Amino acid sequence: MALGAIAVVVVLFVVLAGGDDNGGSDNTTSTQSQAAGSTGTAGASGATGATGKSESKPQVPTIEVVDGKPQGGIQRLTYTKGDPVKFAVKSDVADEIHVHGYDLKKDVPAGGTVRFSFPASIEGVFEVELEGRAQQIAELRVTPG
Amino acid sequence: MSRRLAAAAAAVVAGALAAPAPALAHGLVGRADLPIPEWLFGWAAAVVLVVSFAGLAVLWQTPRLEEEDWHPLPEGISFAIVNTATEVFAGVVGVGILVLTIWSGLAGSQSPTANFAPTFIYVVFWVGLVPASLLLGDVFRAFNPWRAIARGTGWAAARVVGPLPTPFRYPAWLGRWPAVVGLFGFAWMELSYTNGSDPSTLAVATLVYSAVTLIAIACFGTEAWIGRGETFSVYYNLFSRVSAIEVRDGRLGVRRLLSALPRLEPLPGTVALLIVMIGTVAFDGASEGKPWVDVAPDIQDFFTSLGFSLSTALEIAFTLGMLIAIGLVAAIYLLGIAGVRTLDRRPLVTVARSYMHTLVPIAAAYVLAHYFSLLVYNGQAIAYLASDPLGDGSDLFGTAGRAIDYGVINASGIWYVQVGVLVAGHVCGLILAHDRALAMYEKARAATTSQYWMLAVMVAFTTGGLFLLSQANQ
Repeated sequence: MALGAIAVVVVLFVVLAGGDDNGGSDNTTSTQSQAAGSTGTAGASGATGATGKSESKPQVPTIEVVDGKPQGGIQRLTYTKGDPVKFAVKSDVADEIHVHGYDLKKDVPAGGTVRFSFPASIEGVFEVELEGRAQQIAELRVTPG
Repeated sequence: MSRRLAAAAAAVVAGALAAPAPALAHGLVGRADLPIPEWLFGWAAAVVLVVSFAGLAVLWQTPRLEEEDWHPLPEGISFAIVNTATEVFAGVVGVGILVLTIWSGLAGSQSPTANFAPTFIYVVFWVGLVPASLLLGDVFRAFNPWRAIARGTGWAAARVVGPLPTPFRYPAWLGRWPAVVGLFGFAWMELSYTNGSDPSTLAVATLVYSAVTLIAIACFGTEAWIGRGETFSVYYNLFSRVSAIEVRDGRLGVRRLLSALPRLEPLPGTVALLIVMIGTVAFDGASEGKPWVDVAPDIQDFFTSLGFSLSTALEIAFTLGMLIAIGLVAAIYLLGIAGVRTLDRRPLVTVARSYMHTLVPIAAAYVLAHYFSLLVYNGQAIAYLASDPLGDGSDLFGTAGRAIDYGVINASGIWYVQVGVLVAGHVCGLILAHDRALAMYEKARAATTSQYWMLAVMVAFTTGGLFLLSQANQ
């Protein structure tokens, strides 16, 4: 059992050392994925945001719901923890938009648009759905900072 | 969990539209784990290999876990915890929760997240009892509602009409096979059945299972059926063998960690049971990964083209996925056993049973790695569901207004736990295989050969588990 204990200590050491060593590169990766995430998001969302004017207002990804389904499939919204999350849902059906985990709910009328704006405070992959139809429209992905 | 099914079905309904994100879990859970990062996967895999080969070089040379070493705790301590009053209390609690689960499933809200039954069955019972058994021993035996009903009935009948007869002898060939069937059925309902999270479906399934169990107990006797046939008793008992705590003949005692595993009786069906345990969890992990998310709609399309409805076709696709995962796990284990047999000439079944207990820590690691976040997050839901089991707005304990606190652990914390339990399971599996080889072979060479093969099996399962974690929800 003593040897077993040594093995466990070795494992712990290497795992923890691994964490330390890679702290730096981990941060770099996160930053990259953040950048990639935001562009990907804007691109994927069939953007209605940018109006061509070079105002400082950032483009807000918009998920379009047609016939109760997300246009172009389930959209991915990627953020790093601490980022401001901003997106809009434009729907041709009336329903309630539910952001799981963050547990935010907003009603959208048929043909209307609702906007969400909140800090990315919880890490993980969360479902954004039309609550009444139990239809997922987007995936909110928050990675560690 | 079948939460994914609804979303996957929706993806198909959406037709040829490209879905940039894989369909996410639906039903009980609106959250999924982030995949473990590449650097962590690399480090963990390296640790697994280093530990394995270092272990071969330095582990002990005479068997340490094979002999019996249970010894009773002092009478007073034992009696304070295990006595007639606590046994009756635990049994009553078990039966009470069984009734509550069935009643809330039938009479309550049919929203899976607003009803007590789905969260209790899939999170508290199915996942929560695994770490409880690993740490505290066979706790389910104490709370087992069917055992409690059978013992209560037997006690009452003995006072009125004398001891009840046992009409049939439990056939030896049946072994643990009923538990294999039960486990596959439960996993199928959880992973492949479209309505598997519906409260009323779960309540009916629980009623049917209770009826089958009580009839079987009446036929074969309480201990025979609880010990071999009853799925959950058999399942949690396997995990409880990791623990240092065991109640034996009403006396609380302690034993060396893992030491009850080498004494796992080589009954028919046990190898299959362990393979189904690992295979179904592996499939649940794999079904969150890109390869499956990409291929599942194609399989579903194929079956809809044969005339099945969308949801049936999806159920068939997921059932096939489960069977493939179970087949892969069986192939890995039996390949290792075939390797061991190059020097150990006994029949395949005998050799396979000689090493089956080494799979228990692997199975535990798979369950914990895959369902850890479900337990720490959705497990919290039981606080408010217990207060409002039917989802009708009642507030029995004043906790109905609570919500899940996602701040209890962050994504990196979950990653470390997932990787940590996989590596720990790997180490335990290796220790058991090493010890068994020492006990079984007189020649050092045969022992070493068997160990290389079992090492390969363990490395395959552990790196496979890490791979699934790195692929999930990419």
